[in-house]
Amino acid sequence: MAPETQNRVRITEYLDLDIEKEQWLCNRCGRMLGPARESYKKGCLFHDRDPREIHQQLVSSNFNFSPDPQWVRIVECYCPGCGTQIETEYLPPGHPITRDIELDLDSLKERLRKGEYVIRGQRLEAAE
Amino acid sequence: MPIPSLAEKLEWLKPAPATPYEKECAAKVPQGDYEIGVQITNDILDEAMEVFVRASRSYFGVSGDSMVAIFTAEGDLINGACGTYLHAIIQPIIIKYVRKYYQENPGIRDGDIWYTNDALYGGIHNPDQVAMMPIFYKGQLLAWATAALHTTETGATEPGGMPVSAKSRFEEGLNLPPIKIGENFEIRADFLEMYCAYGMRAPAMFVSDLRARCTTADRVRVRVLELAEKRGPEFVVGLFRKMSDTAEAGARKKIRDLPDGKFRSVIFNDAIGWTPALVRSCYLTLTKKGDGIVFDFHGTSPENPSSYNVHPQAVVGHIANFMYEYMFHDLPICSSTFAPLDFIFPEGTIVYPDKMAATSCCVYIGMQARNATQNAFAKMAFSNGALWQQVTAPPGSQHTSQICAGLSQWKLAVSDVLSFSLNTMGQGGRAASDGMDAYGFAWCAFGRAPDSEQVESELPITVTLSQHWKDSSGPGLHRGGSGGVQHWMVHKVPDVVSMCMGNGSKVPLGQPLFGGYASSPIPGISIRKADLLKEMAQSDPNLTLDFRSIVEKHSIHGDWSYELVARTPKMYEEGDVIFGFSGGGPGYGDPLERDPQSVLDDLSKQIISDWTVRNIYKIAYDPERKKLDPEKTEQLREEERRARLARGKSYADFEKEWSKQCPPKEILQWYGSWPDAKPLGPVIR
Repeated sequence: MAPETQNRVRITEYLDLDIEKEQWLCNRCGRMLGPARESYKKGCLFHDRDPREIHQQLVSSNFNFSPDPQWVRIVECYCPGCGTQIETEYLPPGHPITRDIELDLDSLKERLRKGEYVIRGQRLEAAE
Repeated sequence: MPIPSLAEKLEWLKPAPATPYEKECAAKVPQGDYEIGVQITNDILDEAMEVFVRASRSYFGVSGDSMVAIFTAEGDLINGACGTYLHAIIQPIIIKYVRKYYQENPGIRDGDIWYTNDALYGGIHNPDQVAMMPIFYKGQLLAWATAALHTTETGATEPGGMPVSAKSRFEEGLNLPPIKIGENFEIRADFLEMYCAYGMRAPAMFVSDLRARCTTADRVRVRVLELAEKRGPEFVVGLFRKMSDTAEAGARKKIRDLPDGKFRSVIFNDAIGWTPALVRSCYLTLTKKGDGIVFDFHGTSPENPSSYNVHPQAVVGHIANFMYEYMFHDLPICSSTFAPLDFIFPEGTIVYPDKMAATSCCVYIGMQARNATQNAFAKMAFSNGALWQQVTAPPGSQHTSQICAGLSQWKLAVSDVLSFSLNTMGQGGRAASDGMDAYGFAWCAFGRAPDSEQVESELPITVTLSQHWKDSSGPGLHRGGSGGVQHWMVHKVPDVVSMCMGNGSKVPLGQPLFGGYASSPIPGISIRKADLLKEMAQSDPNLTLDFRSIVEKHSIHGDWSYELVARTPKMYEEGDVIFGFSGGGPGYGDPLERDPQSVLDDLSKQIISDWTVRNIYKIAYDPERKKLDPEKTEQLREEERRARLARGKSYADFEKEWSKQCPPKEILQWYGSWPDAKPLGPVIR
């Protein structure tokens, strides 16, 4: 494993955690997304998407196979480095964006230090 | 007798500590014998499950939406066969209630048959009924056996057992707290008559399902006694204790290996009964520390005066469906696997309503707690080397729960659900592959789509098409599994009464994962005075039975209607057509990363449309030959990535603009305060 990825763990498909530097990174381009004690979303770009652009309206009715844009929007979250769509959340317009991941970094570091975990293939594995 | 409190229910979910006798018995079960013993319990339960499916009459029973289980003498679940995991973890509440309050009067004796369907006392909702039998070996209470099954009739204000219009439990028909319905291995005749009085809309189904439950529980009882006779009761007690301890150790290890922290997910619902209304149906915070997880539902919308509320233990039941399908898929179905899990339910919310609340449609809210759990667990487990491949977007849970009631072509009274649209939902996209197409029922992993010929024989309808529903699944790197669509045409009777439960017409019910998109909402569609029957009779060569073409071209002529999927009971005449949908699964990952050839394969299989290929996946191809243009595709995708960077706003700028918005006031009546969903006033029932 390359030295720069030895401390990196994949937290989601597109989100890596550099444990030593306590930083979020894009898994695809390596762009730093901000401090890991904060929400990674603070380092991303956002777009308010009309759901009808994704879910085609098949009929002209209030019930048409597409989410109603007055009820719900698609909040798209992009990596500012490569434009990968890191997350999407279907939220009513104006609803607070969810802080979905709040890792206990101190616990993670302590468990790695104690040898409870090892990092293999950028994933956490319980020590044998 | 008191209604069990939430504290009692949550305490009863936890397995009782081992007694000295149990420890002594467990120490005498050697390796080898232990594994054989575990397999014997599996065999007993599988046999009983087979009996159950064959003996049931309702389409839920025939589809296998049921569960058979074995419990310790104390009432802790030791193993189960599915069907559905929905009932798995919560039935100890019922058995422990009976043990606590009915030990003396009326007493617990060999040959008893106990029964309940009341969610207030520990069930899911009142169509879900369970028979329980104590297993006595030479006077010693050795174990319990149960058989649970959803029957689609309860004698409520509407046919089908899930009255959408119910505002309180008093409109839901049969609600039986735990009660002894049989003695000396025989169902009491007076109980049976009372029971029949609630099932007169569909007496054959109603009573057959009751007997199926009792027969099935008794089969388990007989087989457990055979084991006790062969190996001795101490072996049975020791085996059960050892299974419980082993399962708990396995669950704790899995949880311990996950990273500590908080993980959140939020889901919205779009209907309160048949009133369109936006509700924050689950706001879940998982706090994982060490080998335990706390599920906290603070932030979930207040309860409401409809049947779309759910009692807390039924939420736990829905979460069990996710846990055993994915995280605990290799552990026994055992109370002790849930010992590391704790739950916080704020009183007065949609997940902890008043005792008088109607909850017959609770499954629509409970499912959203499961979906939120699945989403939050994905973010907890993706870093784990052993569990990441279990990470999956939630299933497609929006669907048409269509009830068909009236007289069949054989002049028999019927009232049942058309369960194809339940049992053909799409699985969510997975970390390592697409979701499975038409994988099953989000509430019942092992449910099977019923045989259409049998449905046509027993219910007054003809099934004119059954196919994958194009564009139903959520796009993504790994797309969700496709849902299904059927047409039901009223046939061979002058008319039927039909109504529909459900949700998911305005908002998607499951959040996608890691940059994927959700699956499509479902409208309620019907065509009155349709000319389909006439065209079929004339063998019209222009008749198409492709769903998408029918909808887009209205190629079946008649009075088309598009409504909220939950619909009031209405009369439909012979020839009228009703559409049934099962939801596709939400997608996983950025659609721009999906293998272009897989996208074209989906197009060929009619899982997705040309519109989706071009607009979502940004694929360039020759439509005649369905041949990919890889260079142009890469160019289109790169352009889209650049467009994202151009239109994307920083978090701070986005939030500043975004937070000024609000949904229309008229849809927030039952949401609670905006946006934090606090109660605004009491619910009067």
